[in-house]
Amino acid sequence: MALVLHAGSGNKNAFKALIAAEYSGVNVELVKDFQMGVSNHTPDFLKMNPIGKVSVLETTDGPVFESNAIARYVARMKADNPLYGSSLMEYSHIEQWIDFSTTEVDANIGKWLYPRLGFYPYVAVIEDTFITALKRALGALDTHLASNTYLVGHSVTLADIVMACNLYHGFTRIMTKSFTSEFPHVERYFWTMVNQLNMKKVVGDVNRQSLSHQFKTRLRHQRSKSPRMPRRKQRRRKPRRRPRSQSQLKKQRRKKRHQNQS
Amino acid sequence: MALVLHSGSGNKNAFKALIAAEYCGVKVELTKNFEMGVSNKTPEFIKMNPLGKVPVLETPDGAVFESNAIARYVARSKGDSLLWGGSLIEYARVEQWMDFGATEVDPNIARWLYPRLGYMPYNAQSEEFGIAGLKRALEALNTHLASNTFLVGHSVTLADIVITCNLYHGFARILTKTFTSEFPHVERYFWTMVNQPNFKKVIGDFKQAEVVPPVQKKAAPAKPKEAKKEAPKAAPKPAEVEAPEEEAPKPKPKNPLDLLPPSKMVLDDWKRLYSNTKSNFHDVAIKGFWEMYDPEGYSLWFCDYKYQEENTVSYVTLNKVGGFLQRMDLCRKYAFGKMLVIGSEAPFKVKGLWLFRGQDIPEFVMNEVYDMELYEWTKVDLSDEAQKKRVEAMIEDLEPFEGQALLDAKCFK
Repeated sequence: MALVLHAGSGNKNAFKALIAAEYSGVNVELVKDFQMGVSNHTPDFLKMNPIGKVSVLETTDGPVFESNAIARYVARMKADNPLYGSSLMEYSHIEQWIDFSTTEVDANIGKWLYPRLGFYPYVAVIEDTFITALKRALGALDTHLASNTYLVGHSVTLADIVMACNLYHGFTRIMTKSFTSEFPHVERYFWTMVNQLNMKKVVGDVNRQSLSHQFKTRLRHQRSKSPRMPRRKQRRRKPRRRPRSQSQLKKQRRKKRHQNQS
Repeated sequence: MALVLHSGSGNKNAFKALIAAEYCGVKVELTKNFEMGVSNKTPEFIKMNPLGKVPVLETPDGAVFESNAIARYVARSKGDSLLWGGSLIEYARVEQWMDFGATEVDPNIARWLYPRLGYMPYNAQSEEFGIAGLKRALEALNTHLASNTFLVGHSVTLADIVITCNLYHGFARILTKTFTSEFPHVERYFWTMVNQPNFKKVIGDFKQAEVVPPVQKKAAPAKPKEAKKEAPKAAPKPAEVEAPEEEAPKPKPKNPLDLLPPSKMVLDDWKRLYSNTKSNFHDVAIKGFWEMYDPEGYSLWFCDYKYQEENTVSYVTLNKVGGFLQRMDLCRKYAFGKMLVIGSEAPFKVKGLWLFRGQDIPEFVMNEVYDMELYEWTKVDLSDEAQKKRVEAMIEDLEPFEGQALLDAKCFK
């Protein structure tokens, strides 16, 4: 049995394993007719991954979930895979950048993008925190890439595959040219990566997030940003007494005073 | 040169490498006098990790950052290690659970905890989301641990070290016993792990958090020094827990109700649900109410107007109820109420349902709001199905109510 990857097509997390498979000469098949929200809620799927998230790799020895772990498994199928570098230090640096890519880049892109797609509650102040964090991460990455073509060593490693897939998600969905131009080395790196033959085979042509699209998402959000606290349906109510006019009030006060005096 | 780990002591991310080192017999030294926010801002440190985050491992061949990568390096540095399991698939599973810890457990704990400590802006809705995400993750972990002592295979692996350190952070700071008791296998697992000799050597004795840290009114990065001084006496000290950059002082309690033990029910969440549910009210809002309702932290009360026969004029009756609700303003943080004006003609009946913080009607309300004595108050007994139905009908303004039409339903929220 070949390795079977459960994920929808076009899933950036599935790309990681598929690209690693291309580089390693391993055969990984993507399941057909995968339906997000249906296929991954079946009991069989939950047995493979109790949290029901994609992607999951089905191997002859049993399933593996978490996209990075899957990519690592695929890479390790080939002994001494250059995707893992050539020394303990290179290996550690590859792991370091994979984790960096997950905790600093992907997490912040997700927290910025998903509320705008309506997956999470949207809060403007909180969004700012994440954009700042993403900029900080990309700034650090930019510094590193200023003097390095690849993240580790002098060829593509697993770290590049994971980083490129995470960046891909950001570049295609929310990071516009005006945003990324602050990080020229990251831009150069990203385009180099997605044009590698093995990546292109899996990812296809990458279309840049167009400005108008982002503008649209933003507009949609501004409208539905803060859920109002609407008043609950008002019951039929009897009209209140009409407020008395000033002159009537005066007259009444005079009358009261008069009564008190007498 | 031995391996040097740059981090403050008590940092759960540094623990990962230190525990792995104990298991592998590798020597890792923790830098002395590490000061969070100072030592990690120096140019030398930034050269090791451009983000300036801790921990960083300094090796003879250069530096490694990201705590999981460091732990991996340590576990790898002695050749084949049992921490990786015994086969390719076990290796993959170890990594799978490490990543699960990093993407599902840790970020959701952080999303819940950090805004409460004032590191990030607080937002109730986002917090709810973090808690739901965490519950989902722990649920999945619980299922797995129901039939497994360790995450992978039959002994401690790197996955156990990483997940335990992530859980440690949660258990020490915010996951109280009431929260974790939903996940008995996770609890059992956690306590087994922290009592392993190699863990104990690094972590020391451990105590679970007793209270969820209160929300900070304002993020206080402006004066962290002062906050630090106040922390030891104010916050119930989380023993030997990592000292964060700023410790959170507890806000001064003003109302006796604030001194009650924390409740899992967030009143504003209920009010928001009530206000925003427009269709299918019974299935969404009423169901949500019973899910949120915390019978220990809150109590439900029926009230009946004592002088129903005097309610002969509709608008007078309505204004009377309106005035009552206005005067209740002082307990908006602690109460939710529904007042029904019942009947299509005089005399109208005024009946209501109130949700109060605590087990009694708050004393300050009794003292300040004179309307309170115009009503007969009875505590709702939820074991009585009929009373429960009545509560639901009143929240929902269900017509006919007790056989009569409603003239008006007012809500205090």
